[in-house]
Amino acid sequence: MTLTVFALNALYGLALAMNMFVIASGLNLIFGVLRVINFAHGVFYMFGAYLIYTVTKLWGFSFPVGVLAAGLGLAIIAFFIERLLLRRLYGQEHLMQLLFTFAIVLLMSDAAKMLWGTDQYTVGYPPAFTGAVNLGFVVFPQYLLFLCVVGPIIAIAMWLLVDRTRWGRVVRAATQDREMLAALGVNVQMVYSAVFVLGSALAGIGGALAAPRLALTPGMDATIINECFIIVIIGGLGHLWGSFLGALAFGFVVQFGTVWVPNWQDVLPYLLMLTVLLIRPWGLLGRPEAGR
Amino acid sequence: MRAGWSLVAAMALAAGGALAQGEPIRIGAMYPLTGGGAIYGVPAMAGHQLAIEEINAKGGVLGRKLESVERDDKMNPSAASATMKELITKDNVHIVLGGLSSAVGLGMSEVAKQEKMVYIATVPKTIQMTSDKLHKHVFRIASNTDLEGDTLAELVSKYKVKNICHLQLDYAYGHDLEAGFLKALPKYAPGSKVVLTLKPKLGATDFNAFIPQVMSAGCDGVVSGLWGPHFVSWVQQAKPLGFFDKIKWISGGEIASHEVAVSLKDEYPDNVISNTYELWYHSQDPMHKTFQAALAKKLGTQETPQWSMLGYNGVLFAAAAIEKAKSLDPDKIAEALEGLTVHTPVGPLTIDAKTHQSNTGQFWGPMVKQPGKDYRVMSPVEFIQPKL
Repeated sequence: MTLTVFALNALYGLALAMNMFVIASGLNLIFGVLRVINFAHGVFYMFGAYLIYTVTKLWGFSFPVGVLAAGLGLAIIAFFIERLLLRRLYGQEHLMQLLFTFAIVLLMSDAAKMLWGTDQYTVGYPPAFTGAVNLGFVVFPQYLLFLCVVGPIIAIAMWLLVDRTRWGRVVRAATQDREMLAALGVNVQMVYSAVFVLGSALAGIGGALAAPRLALTPGMDATIINECFIIVIIGGLGHLWGSFLGALAFGFVVQFGTVWVPNWQDVLPYLLMLTVLLIRPWGLLGRPEAGR
Repeated sequence: MRAGWSLVAAMALAAGGALAQGEPIRIGAMYPLTGGGAIYGVPAMAGHQLAIEEINAKGGVLGRKLESVERDDKMNPSAASATMKELITKDNVHIVLGGLSSAVGLGMSEVAKQEKMVYIATVPKTIQMTSDKLHKHVFRIASNTDLEGDTLAELVSKYKVKNICHLQLDYAYGHDLEAGFLKALPKYAPGSKVVLTLKPKLGATDFNAFIPQVMSAGCDGVVSGLWGPHFVSWVQQAKPLGFFDKIKWISGGEIASHEVAVSLKDEYPDNVISNTYELWYHSQDPMHKTFQAALAKKLGTQETPQWSMLGYNGVLFAAAAIEKAKSLDPDKIAEALEGLTVHTPVGPLTIDAKTHQSNTGQFWGPMVKQPGKDYRVMSPVEFIQPKL
């Protein structure tokens, strides 16, 4: 394999990784703060993809409007789910929450079938990014390059939000000790609500960004949720940069897996997760949970 | 009053007469009607219905009407097997037609074997159904992976492709087409070799991991079995890179069908040579004109899809076999199908008594632009008859 081919594959892996990071980071954020394993994250992603299809293809709006609509749409859906239903389950055991989010998966995937039918749709690359760009050593689709840029931007934005703002401090405090936080006069319910909305909006945006590089089918939520869990577990549950690292590992393993061991392409991400779990059960950047 | 009563009596008699003639003959049909396969399954079902309507308008079979019992096979082998069992045990169908994916076809054939029910595969192509896994009750009127692989190899030689990138979907159809092609390659093009083999999953929509592999493998042609939606996704993801400028795409899987041409329109790439069972704009048999006109009327479009003819032919064979057997006994229908010849819109087709495979040919050719049309058409059209 020449260096050029290697670099080309690395770029493809990076584009996949960055798209996956946007989606997985939302799942990770929700888990980190709410301690809820949100199975519905995959179906949120699917709604994001379908929303951008409706907004750009059927209503004729531009691509950025479509991405915003997907994020906003999911934020609204998530707001109502959290306010009306999920918040009653915070004190409950994990199994209850799992069953609840799984019920959301079933409800929303049936709703998607009613709203959009079962045909396969394509969104296509946005007009600004239809071509390929010559990077000097390789030719690479503009849109995928755009994805490579978007991922780190979202990662830094989230880091700034969580690490450098007062709201972020409150969110981090909520993960440590919510009773103490409430005692200090912070509205913890509001924090939870905001985190769930933000995390779900990321799933919607991730789905909208993914739509041009694939085709939309009714079952597209099923695989993505497994892949997101792999990424989050590799990186360390609840750890932002861990998810970033996990997404990179996932992207490269998928891409180079199809190059070097094509017959193993389906198993490789799972093998990666198993290996990480055996060596560092708390993930690459996570910390062992003491006394929980 | 008296007259009224006798009228009622007459009606009762008439009804009784109809009953004596027997209930309708129930023809089970299964195609994918939802999901990625629906682009092929829905038109196939429309052709199926058309044939049933036409036969019923002419008085049915053995003096009995045909009743179509239609189900979604969901392109899922286990769901399809369960649905087919239901068709046989609950709906009491007399014969089952259809299937689209080869994996579903194999599953349905297995049910046919267990339940001793005749199954005519109208679309699935895996060679296993008519070779290793052949049994008394399974028949095929689609082409098969050996025939398709043979033609692909012939085209590799015709278009002088030296280094081949081989793309097949990772399931029964892809595996068997790969085997069929590799078997035939030395015969037609001993100087050509496969430099890369890749197997995306059935139903895959993201081909970004595969595209750079093919572009950097140094092949001058792709041999592929990526059908329908797979090809559409590949084109949309690969075309920005100028993929099709340098690489010839020789493909089975009927991507030369009008359905695929229309779903891609301007995006349909150059350098594609592929196959189709039927072309609405090309008649080689007088029957095609009437069939196409009837289908156009049913679907409300002049530009009809190719899959309808397979659904249509399935019913023609089923009806002819029942007529010939003069019975609804599955064993007798199976015996009647062996060696049976039926006139179809592409000419007479015969089911081989030994292999249970019909001699179904396909149209092959390059997909080109034509002035005044926003979709590609096949030109020149060549009808390739099975040689095996």
